[in-house]
Amino acid sequence: MTRTALRYLRLSLFLGGVGLHRLAAYRLDFVLGAGAFLVRVGIQTAVVGLVFRQVPAVGGWSYHEVLFLLGFSLLPRGLDHLFTDQLWELGRKLVQRGEFYRYLIRPVNPLFSLLSERFFHPDGLGELIVGAVLVFWAGSELGLDPTAAQWALAPLLVLCGALIHTAVKLFFASLSFWTVTSLPSMYAATQVSEFAAYPLDIYHSSLRALLTWVLPFAFTSYVPCVYLLTGDTGLLVWLPVVTAGAVLTALAVWRRGINRFDMTGS
Amino acid sequence: MTGSPPVIVAENLTKEFRVAERGPGLLGALATLFTREHRIVRAVDGVSFEIPAGSRTAYIGANGAGKSTTIKMLTGIMTPTSGRCLVAGIEPYRERQRNARSIGVVFGQRSQLWWDLSVPDSFRILRRIYDIPEPVYRRNLRLYRELLDIDALGTTPVRQLSLGQRMRAEIAASLLHDPAVVFWDEPTIGLDMVLKEAVRVLVNRANQELGTTVVLTSHDIGDIAAICDSALVVDRGRVVHQGTIQDLLRTADRRSVTFDHRDPLPLPAACEEIERGLPGVRASEDDGGRIRVDYPVAAFTSRQVLAFLLDRFDLADCYAPEPDLEDVLRRVYERDATESASPDQPAAPVESGAA
Repeated sequence: MTRTALRYLRLSLFLGGVGLHRLAAYRLDFVLGAGAFLVRVGIQTAVVGLVFRQVPAVGGWSYHEVLFLLGFSLLPRGLDHLFTDQLWELGRKLVQRGEFYRYLIRPVNPLFSLLSERFFHPDGLGELIVGAVLVFWAGSELGLDPTAAQWALAPLLVLCGALIHTAVKLFFASLSFWTVTSLPSMYAATQVSEFAAYPLDIYHSSLRALLTWVLPFAFTSYVPCVYLLTGDTGLLVWLPVVTAGAVLTALAVWRRGINRFDMTGS
Repeated sequence: MTGSPPVIVAENLTKEFRVAERGPGLLGALATLFTREHRIVRAVDGVSFEIPAGSRTAYIGANGAGKSTTIKMLTGIMTPTSGRCLVAGIEPYRERQRNARSIGVVFGQRSQLWWDLSVPDSFRILRRIYDIPEPVYRRNLRLYRELLDIDALGTTPVRQLSLGQRMRAEIAASLLHDPAVVFWDEPTIGLDMVLKEAVRVLVNRANQELGTTVVLTSHDIGDIAAICDSALVVDRGRVVHQGTIQDLLRTADRRSVTFDHRDPLPLPAACEEIERGLPGVRASEDDGGRIRVDYPVAAFTSRQVLAFLLDRFDLADCYAPEPDLEDVLRRVYERDATESASPDQPAAPVESGAA
C-alpha cells in the first residue's frame, strides 16, 4: 500500500517536472493563458466594484465579502486546474480519435496516466496566487479574525472544493465514452460553475438548488465562505457527504466508460 | 514450435459493436437522434487459437476478419462481448495494469508517445512508468542507437517526426521494458528498407535472448516475411492454417517459373509451344522479353516443367519465385468456404465488418 503510494508520488513528481519542462518550451502559450486569465479576474473584480458603487450590499453581502468569495472560489478551481486539465482532451478528442487506448496499456492507473500528461498546468498556479491575494486582502479589509478551527479547516475546504470540481469535470468528460465527444456538456458545466463565484443569495431558488444539490459548486465557494465569514455551519456539514458522493459517482461513470471503450478504426 | 507452451490463448473470442442504423441523407441523420435502432456488427466471431511462447507469428485474416479488434482484446484495450483470452496467464482486460507489464504495443495508425515531447524524453518517462532497471534500460538504448539510429531523432517533438522516424520510436518504445509479448498492429515499416532490416535484427535478438513472442498483423507481405516465422490464418472465427510461413506457401496450388532463352523463336510461338507441350499450363510474355510459365501443382511437378523447358529451349536464365502470399490466402479462404458451406449452418444474421 505505502509502496504503491510512494511509487505514484515519485511518478507524480517526475511527471510534474516534465510538465514544468514542457512549459519552458511553450512560454508564449503560458504568457497568453496567464494574461487572459488576469483580464478575466480583473473584469470580474471591476464588475463587483461597479455594482457596489450603486448599492451598499448585495443579497446581504458587502463589497469585501463578495471579493472574499470571488477570491476563495479561485482556490479550489486553481488546485483542480493544476492537476486535471487533461480531462478536457478526453472530452474533446481522445475517444473520438481512438487515442485513449494509450492509457490502458500502461502499468499505472489509467486515470493517473491520463491526468499526468498535463500535471502542473500553469493556469492553475495563476488562479491559486490571485485567489490567495484576493482572499487575504478582502479578509484584512473585513478585519476577519478566524478561529483556530477555521484556520485548520480552511485548507480542507479548498481540497474538498477542488475534488468537487474534478468530479464534475471527470463525470462530463467520461460521457464521451458513450457520446464520442462531450466537450459541449463539459463547457456548459464550467459555465454553471462560474455562478459559484458570487453569493448564492442573489439567485432564483431553482438555480440555488441546482448549484447546491445537482452540480454542487456551491460547496466549492459559497458554503465554505459563509462558514469562514460568519461561522455558520448550516450546509457545511454536508460538504464531506457531497464531496464523497460526487467523487464516487464520477469514478463509477469513468470506470464503466473505460470498460466500454471501443477503439474505433483499424 | 509444438514444444512451447502457449503464451496466448483465445477461446471463443467474440466482439460485437452496436452501430446506429442511419438512413441516407440529412433526414436519415436527423432520424438517428430520435430512434433507438441499432444494428449489431460482429467484428470477431468466436475465434479460438493458441500462440506458442517464443514464436513470431503473423496473424492473418481476410479484410474484416477483425484482426485489429482481436489485437485490442489481447492487449486489454477492449473487453470481449463473450469468450475470453489469456496472455501470459492474465486476462488482459480484467487486469490491465498487470498485463501492461508483460506486453508491448504498436498501433501503426496511432502514436502512443507524448506528441509534444522528444523521443529521449518519452523514453525517460517510459523508464519510470515501467520501473525498467538501469542495466536493462541502458542495454536497450544502446541497441536502439546501433540499430534504429535513435540518436538522429534528437530533441524533435514526436509530432514533427516523419512516419518512418516515428515508427522507429514506436517500435523501440514497445520493446523498451523487455515485454514477454509484443503486438504490432499494422506497423508501417515496409516503406523503409533500413528500418525493416533493423527491426528484423531487433526481433531476432529479443526472440533469442529473451524469448520474446511477436504477434504481427500487416497487409505488407514483405513485413510479414521479414519479421515472422509462423503464420496463423483465421477465417470466420476458425484457424484455417497454423504453421510456418513456408508450410503456408507450400499449400499454393499454382507455381510459376520465369525464364530467358537464346532461341530465335518469337515469343508468341514459344508460348504456344509450351502450352501445347504441357496441357493446362499457361505461358505468357513477362517483363523484358522473358517468358512466365504458370502451372497447376496438381498436374505437374516443378521438375517436369523444368525438364520440359530445358529440353526445348536454350535457357539463359531461370527463376522460380515464392508463390504469392495473397494468392495462397485467397485459396485458403476459398477452400474453407466450400468446406464450411454445409446446409445445417444457419445463415448468419449478423454482418461481419471491419473494425
